[in-house]
Amino acid sequence: MAEVRFLVSKYNSETDAKPRLQEFRLDPPQGATLLDCLNLIKWKLDGTLSFRMSCRSAICGSCAVRVNGHARLACKTQAADAVIDGRVTIEPLGNMTLIRDLVVDLEPFWASVEKVRPWLVPDDSKKYERERLQSHHDQLKIDAASTCIMCASCFSDCNVMEVDPKFLGPAALAKAQRFVFDTRDAEKWDRLELLGQIHGMWDCTHCAECSTRCPTDAKPLERITELRRAAMAAGMTDNNAARHVLGFRESIGGFKGIGGSGMLNENYLPVRSMGLSIGGILSLIPVGLRMFARKKNPPLIPHVIEKVGEVRKMFRRFDEYNKEGEK
Amino acid sequence: MITHDVVIVGSGLAGLRAAIEMAGKVDVAVVSKVYPSRSHSGAAQGGVAAAMANSSDDSVESHFFDTVKGSDYLADQDAAEIMTRDAPVTITEMERLGCVFSRDEKGRIAQREFGGHSHPRACYAADRTGHALLHTLFEQSMKHKAAVTYYSEWYLLSLIYEEGSARGITMMNIRTGELEVVRAKTVLFGTGGYGRAFKITSNAFACTGDGVMTAYRAGIPLEDMEFVQFHPTGLYGQGILMSEAARGEGGYLVNGKGERFMDKYAKSKMELAPRDIVSRAEQTEINEGRGIGGKDFVHIDLRHLGREKIIERLPQIRQLAIDFLGVDCIDKPIPIQPTAHYSMGGIPVDVDCQVITDEKKTKARGFFAAGECSCVSVHGANRLGTNSLLDACVFGRRAGKAALDYTLSARHESVNEAAELGKARKRLDALLSTPETESANDIRNELKETMSNHAGVYRGAEGLLVAKAALKLLRERFKSVRVTDKGKLFNTELVEALELSNMLEYSEIIVEGALARRESRGAHARTDFPKRDDANWLKHTLARKNADGSVSLGYKPVVITKYQPEERKY
Amino acid sequence: MRYALYTGCVAKGAGRELLTATTYAAERLGIQLNEMKDASCCGAGVVDDDNRLLADSMNARTFSLAEASGLDIMTICGTCQGVMRAAQKKIDGNPDYKARVNAALLKDTGRVYAGKVKIKHFYQIIHEDYGLENLAARVTVKLAGLKVAPFYGCYVLRPHEYSDVKVPDRPDYLEKFIETLGATPVDYPEKLKCCGFPILMSNKTNSLQLSGNAILGAIKAGADCIVTPCPLCQLNMDSYQPEIEAILERKLGLPILHYPQLLALALGATLDDVKTNTHIVRPNKALHEASD
Repeated sequence: MAEVRFLVSKYNSETDAKPRLQEFRLDPPQGATLLDCLNLIKWKLDGTLSFRMSCRSAICGSCAVRVNGHARLACKTQAADAVIDGRVTIEPLGNMTLIRDLVVDLEPFWASVEKVRPWLVPDDSKKYERERLQSHHDQLKIDAASTCIMCASCFSDCNVMEVDPKFLGPAALAKAQRFVFDTRDAEKWDRLELLGQIHGMWDCTHCAECSTRCPTDAKPLERITELRRAAMAAGMTDNNAARHVLGFRESIGGFKGIGGSGMLNENYLPVRSMGLSIGGILSLIPVGLRMFARKKNPPLIPHVIEKVGEVRKMFRRFDEYNKEGEK
Repeated sequence: MITHDVVIVGSGLAGLRAAIEMAGKVDVAVVSKVYPSRSHSGAAQGGVAAAMANSSDDSVESHFFDTVKGSDYLADQDAAEIMTRDAPVTITEMERLGCVFSRDEKGRIAQREFGGHSHPRACYAADRTGHALLHTLFEQSMKHKAAVTYYSEWYLLSLIYEEGSARGITMMNIRTGELEVVRAKTVLFGTGGYGRAFKITSNAFACTGDGVMTAYRAGIPLEDMEFVQFHPTGLYGQGILMSEAARGEGGYLVNGKGERFMDKYAKSKMELAPRDIVSRAEQTEINEGRGIGGKDFVHIDLRHLGREKIIERLPQIRQLAIDFLGVDCIDKPIPIQPTAHYSMGGIPVDVDCQVITDEKKTKARGFFAAGECSCVSVHGANRLGTNSLLDACVFGRRAGKAALDYTLSARHESVNEAAELGKARKRLDALLSTPETESANDIRNELKETMSNHAGVYRGAEGLLVAKAALKLLRERFKSVRVTDKGKLFNTELVEALELSNMLEYSEIIVEGALARRESRGAHARTDFPKRDDANWLKHTLARKNADGSVSLGYKPVVITKYQPEERKY
Repeated sequence: MRYALYTGCVAKGAGRELLTATTYAAERLGIQLNEMKDASCCGAGVVDDDNRLLADSMNARTFSLAEASGLDIMTICGTCQGVMRAAQKKIDGNPDYKARVNAALLKDTGRVYAGKVKIKHFYQIIHEDYGLENLAARVTVKLAGLKVAPFYGCYVLRPHEYSDVKVPDRPDYLEKFIETLGATPVDYPEKLKCCGFPILMSNKTNSLQLSGNAILGAIKAGADCIVTPCPLCQLNMDSYQPEIEAILERKLGLPILHYPQLLALALGATLDDVKTNTHIVRPNKALHEASD
């Protein structure tokens, strides 16, 4: 490979006001990973460069950094694949306080994981002499989440976390999925209850940064949608977000004999989301009036698609679809 | 000074398992240079052995015998018997704690074939079994957080061991640079192995034998250090582990002539012979010019297993080969070579993991060790695949129980905090104030080159003497090693220098032990003494540090209870 | 060029100006659009939170409608585009799943999704099918001097495995488009981030803070307006800008344009033609000047 300019973030909280990018020039050997390059920089060019690493085989989760602005495992990234116009930028993970160079304070990350009570609460109602039985099919439901290596890449790049440090965050939610769906766990409902609270699973915006940055099969967004489906299927719908989901279901597919329109009813949806909360409904008034004044308000008579009967029929078999989808 | 009842050093399977055993009963601290989930136990892939007999008529007896035979009869049979007997209950416990195991058609823990095991005995979680077990214990550690204090990213500097008793440790907070003394009634090491001294290694950067060397410097002898396992399937050039499960599931080893060469070395077990035999077979093929394209690697071919089986059972190794070599094993064979993998030797302990200090098995008061840093010895001269996770779980558990019993009737002994801190400070200051001439990187590279060339899969007196001389020079050069980072916060350059000092010193012990042992047994293969010599060498090495820093060797007998040594054929 | 136009719900509801601008621009470019009057909502990722098979089957129905018409689908909403492409890729990538989707679809609608239809957002069509060079030739009003901040929206970019964008971490569709119209693209850190719309009803503060950060980022980079291919991003950043200003405790006043609005302006439309008067944030001086 030709010479590459590595722009690496340097910072020492004892002496520096803010981080700066320092340039190192290196000709990475054939097949070198970014971790190899960071080590070459440290061992040959600047011994003071500090970063975490250990297994160099993408299983310990130590070496996550931001590469060209996005979280990745340095050990899992070929240097050649990271070069843009002869340069690679390497910075610390986001959403956490910086300590030194590429090292951030992970405590908020671990704290988020701890909040979901990430341990099995065994269901001891059935007695087994040896291991508890779990079908291959049931085990597969928790397989993806169990591949998480706690590298905090998702936590770093989570958009909601940027505005709400109390948000549980993608890693914790993925971890929670692994217990909610574990047939051996006794606390599925309590867990869903906990996750359904504010700053929980419903606060995710689907921005999909987590799944995009995840270096394993854990793919937190997928796990979050599984948690939401579990809550909906269990009828745990007493919150704005779940009612918002019901609003979709009802306005597209119909509700209690009233046929759906096949489309979203943008007048119904916000009101439905607020449930019986008078404060919630009142909060919709300013924007409603504003939109009305600009003739931007959705039509009062909902737009109904042609052949809507087909869609209504699908929604009438809602439970069967859910069951079939479970397979 | 911090005081706890028990201080555990190391947060891998052994350390965490011991901590959980004691949580809530005594005041436990866990010290680790990484966060628990980063520990190298998580990198183990293929499985954990236990005679669950889920898919065969397996028995503890059979597991016991396979382990002893695999060890080339150097294992202590009382210990091997205990490990194999405790295996099913230990694995059942891990399952109950929540470990996500792969399942068979009846919903039981699935089991697969593994090298040297006569039955499908490896319980597994796809090809990330260590990860599944480690994270189960990590989860439990969060459950017990109120009862256990975690010191993550603290580096172990010394063991305080006086008059036959361990009294605590000194450590450095990597994050802040501060030094601390921890006083404890009981010290328990689960600090892992020492495979980083080789050029091609599957080990994490962290596997630098810190615990082992800390004990050694405190006056504890080390057992069987010359026995380093070379895993047959390290990813070419990197040494990254390609699980033995790849062979367990039916993978073929193929040389440059396209031959499945294992029939020359282990006709009946073929690729599923124990690791020492397979690694030597590969090295012989390579040495005799039958590597791929005449180079220093061979192939593992998985193509005939088919896409579905590979994706379901070997997803991690497939991804690793894609990420590191751009090879998808569904379509192409993977280039592999032997890679330094496991340390059979370590801190000598009895079957309850209490450290022993001499040939007469005198116990060290308040000092326990478990897992790869220890030598019970259950693996003897060669560990069978899947017995290491088992070792860490079984003996982590036993260590926890024994250390708990000990602690309940022990009391804190006196520690001179100022003196201990002074010694630690002096060691760090020496590194920070050297004339800055020698590059740690050069020394480390030369060390690894030396060890791989002369103390690798095959060893001979000539090469070992070269290594001995080279190590002496390297240790001399290390005295003026360059540590340019003089800061306190996250000074990883300083930590790496401390690790390098450990690597240099234990490499010398490996070489001394290997040079003295004039036979071939298990992973220790002497070109000049190709036969096992039970008459003279059916014994464990004990290496001790002399006052002048040199190594002196002693020996202790092997415990043989049931199986008399016989020729090892596969 | 002819496409089956999938309007999505917003263009028929709270964002009717999007459809107006789309119609205007398509006419000027000679792109024929057959509105899919029988297509349902895409589910916006929300029905997926409820019932995956139903959400995917509902989209498969839309695909089969287009297939029956022999036309590929053009979307004008980033969320619709992302949701439908994800559904399509999930269905196409798993024969077993496709069989289940089609079984359900056949039972309830008598339709089958074959797997032939292409789904493209208007902006992909401009780039890939129409061509920027052809577009440049049609531009009648150079939006010279106008500094436009592109805001992509999550769904067309992520997860990468479902995205049609070649390098989703460094997309340049909107930048090149803005340049083609004679305007100047403005770079800012939030351009690939989330607008927060999906949680507007459940966590308004977080939702609007996300939009606020993006608007603020664009303003700091000197933008005169934001352009987005997703009407949900537009809705959050425009209709709620007064609330956003309250949260940020500062005035913003940054106009948020739909992709087809900016396009139509460059093709000769007036601000009234693309109904910017329905926006909560009125066109500012720069926008007036550029489109005159």
